[in-house]
Amino acid sequence: MAVESNFSREKNELTIKVRGRFDFGKHQEFRDAYERQSTPTASVVIDLQGATYLDSSALGMLLLLRDHQGGDQSRISVINTSTDVRKILAISNFNKLFEIS
Amino acid sequence: MPAKEALSVLIAEDGAVDRLLLAQIVRKQGHRVFTVENGEQAVKLFVEQRPQLVLMDALMPVMDGFEAARQIKALAGETLVPIIFLTSLNEEEALVRCLEAGGDDFMAKPYSAIILGARIRAMDRLRRLQATVLEQRDQITRHHNHLLNEQRVAKAVFDKVTHSGCLNAPNIRYLQSPYALFNGDLLLAAFTPSGNMHVLLGDFTGHGLPAAVGAMPLAEVFYGMTAKGYGLVEILREMNAKLKRILPVDMFCCALLLNLSFQRQTVEVWSGGMPDGYRLSAEGEMLSCLSSCHLPLGILCAEHFDDSTETLPLQEGERLFLLSDGVADTCNEQDQLFGVDRLGEVLTGNRDVERLFDEVHQALARFGGRPRDDISLLDIRMLEPQCQLAPAVVYSDGLHGAPLEWSLRFELRDQSLKSLNPVPYLLQLLQEIHGLRAVTGALHSVLSELYSNALEHGVLGLDSRLKCDAQGFAQYYHERNRRLSGKVEGCVSIALRVEPHAAGGRLMIEVRDSGAGFDVERVLSSPVKEQAFSGRGLNLVRRLSRDARWLDGGRRACVEFAWEVQA
Amino acid sequence: MSEHRIDQKVLSDLQEVMEDGYLQLLETFLEDSEHRINQLHGAKDASELGMTAHSFKGSSSNMGAAALAELCRQLEERVRQQPLCGIEDLIHRIDLEYLEVQRFYQGERERVSAG
Repeated sequence: MAVESNFSREKNELTIKVRGRFDFGKHQEFRDAYERQSTPTASVVIDLQGATYLDSSALGMLLLLRDHQGGDQSRISVINTSTDVRKILAISNFNKLFEIS
Repeated sequence: MPAKEALSVLIAEDGAVDRLLLAQIVRKQGHRVFTVENGEQAVKLFVEQRPQLVLMDALMPVMDGFEAARQIKALAGETLVPIIFLTSLNEEEALVRCLEAGGDDFMAKPYSAIILGARIRAMDRLRRLQATVLEQRDQITRHHNHLLNEQRVAKAVFDKVTHSGCLNAPNIRYLQSPYALFNGDLLLAAFTPSGNMHVLLGDFTGHGLPAAVGAMPLAEVFYGMTAKGYGLVEILREMNAKLKRILPVDMFCCALLLNLSFQRQTVEVWSGGMPDGYRLSAEGEMLSCLSSCHLPLGILCAEHFDDSTETLPLQEGERLFLLSDGVADTCNEQDQLFGVDRLGEVLTGNRDVERLFDEVHQALARFGGRPRDDISLLDIRMLEPQCQLAPAVVYSDGLHGAPLEWSLRFELRDQSLKSLNPVPYLLQLLQEIHGLRAVTGALHSVLSELYSNALEHGVLGLDSRLKCDAQGFAQYYHERNRRLSGKVEGCVSIALRVEPHAAGGRLMIEVRDSGAGFDVERVLSSPVKEQAFSGRGLNLVRRLSRDARWLDGGRRACVEFAWEVQA
Repeated sequence: MSEHRIDQKVLSDLQEVMEDGYLQLLETFLEDSEHRINQLHGAKDASELGMTAHSFKGSSSNMGAAALAELCRQLEERVRQQPLCGIEDLIHRIDLEYLEVQRFYQGERERVSAG
């Protein structure tokens, strides 16, 4: 599985791990990962440890997730970003919408 | 057992007994039967009746079944006409010959009605499958051609829209791959009424038609508002709001906007999500980068949208080099990216501007990058302040109509100074006067100068001497943004008076501010050159109008325009 | 007894399939077989002989005359091997076997046309 999700009841937090190329091909899997949660989660962590590349449709998917989590009220962090991935996120200034580390 | 659907079946068999028996078996299963006695007759009947399935004896006089099968398969073309060989051939070699001749199945004697029925049904399924595949293939081909045609039409329409701008101006060089539009790249340029140049390089997320769809409203806003004299900030706000409203959540538009002022020798920049652009000296040396400081357009709602722009000096001959992400994102066989560093090498290695685009392409080819169809390159040169590039505006309403006599006065106070730029409104109003249309550019320049003087130096108290060098320049605009985003106190009032007379008319503009004023004598007597870069543009205002005076210690500007009625 | 030379299962299937055409099938077979026997005796070369044996094998197997079909198969195979000497014996055996089959089917024809 290129997209894996894990829900922590204790923290009420959903972690989604994306491996390989994070592009349009992962669209459905990524959406499923947060849409199948029956109750809203307080926060979401996107773990990009295994992600090698990220394109603009991945940015779009992050925006969809943000919208799903309540837009400005959402708490989403993107962790374990590689230099390349961080560069892409920085050009688009996504650090203004997501907590990136 | 009757077949689900009747087929037309050709039976080619030289033996009268076998032919009779077979015909009866097949007919009883509900099919329509044609019988012939040899291969030659079989081919002839196939041409005339186009049966859907053939039962073919292998050994027949005149023409054997192998040759007949070959000819029938050739005649059938892409349509599958299954051929079942009727034979008790029990040698491998003969079975191979049947297959090679195009046979699809075998049937040994003595015939069994049940087995024959099953074989015919199996072959019919295969025949239908092939027909479905062919039909779908043709349908896909039709759709594909249809889509290509739609794209051609859409591109033609879009080219009309984009080329209504000034991409062909002598200081612009650009290269856009033919179908870049359908990969979301967008390139627009237009003159403002005062002769500034607005440029937009954009890149929509996604590909294909969805990406191109957002481009139309964006172009409309860009051209419409630029022509009416709106500044980058207002245009950006409108574009962002419009895209936010119409695009789905996961779509947005990375964009880099420029406002080139030839008069002031400056460039105002806003970049959201675009790769770095480059400011280059006349010799091609890299002076600085135009980096993305903002989120792309169409993501944030109006209240969170950041419209702050950066203004940089750009001297005559200096250039800006902009590009879409297609360049740095080009991949080679090893899945490596071309990247920004390799691009930098191309830029610094360039000796002849004319060859720069070629050199970028060559570097991509050397890198072994797979060719991408969404590369946009743009090179813009600053011209001398006196250049006359903007063409005369053509109005769609008639040229007649007498000017009315009117006057107006209004005041912008405190917080409203932050958000409202009155210049475009005033300009639109003044364009109703046909006699003034020839000087729309001058009017726009003068109104803009007077208003920004009143706001920046008067109300905000900024010192124009800051703008003496590139660093001070940045500092000046940084300070301007800082003060505007804080609490603003004071007012600017603007009065217009139009007085027609028999042979023409005149327009009086008065702009007052609540600031501290300035030493009019000293500024006006300082050398023109100094004024051009750091002054208040007073000389410009004087040059463009018939009369210009500053009263009340510099707090009140009175400027006059006049026109004559053309006989 | 000629009944033993005919596969009874094939025979009943033939009647069921052919229905009203059964009589015509019998007549066609008797006529066609007469013609084949003549061809066997008048064949000018091995290939004509083989072709005729092949066709006769097909029709007799379809009519349930298994022994006759087997003899035809042997002949078809035999003509591919030179020299052809001794082949007359095989053709003679086909003649004899066909007489039995013919007798049976003639009886069958009488039975059907009378019924």
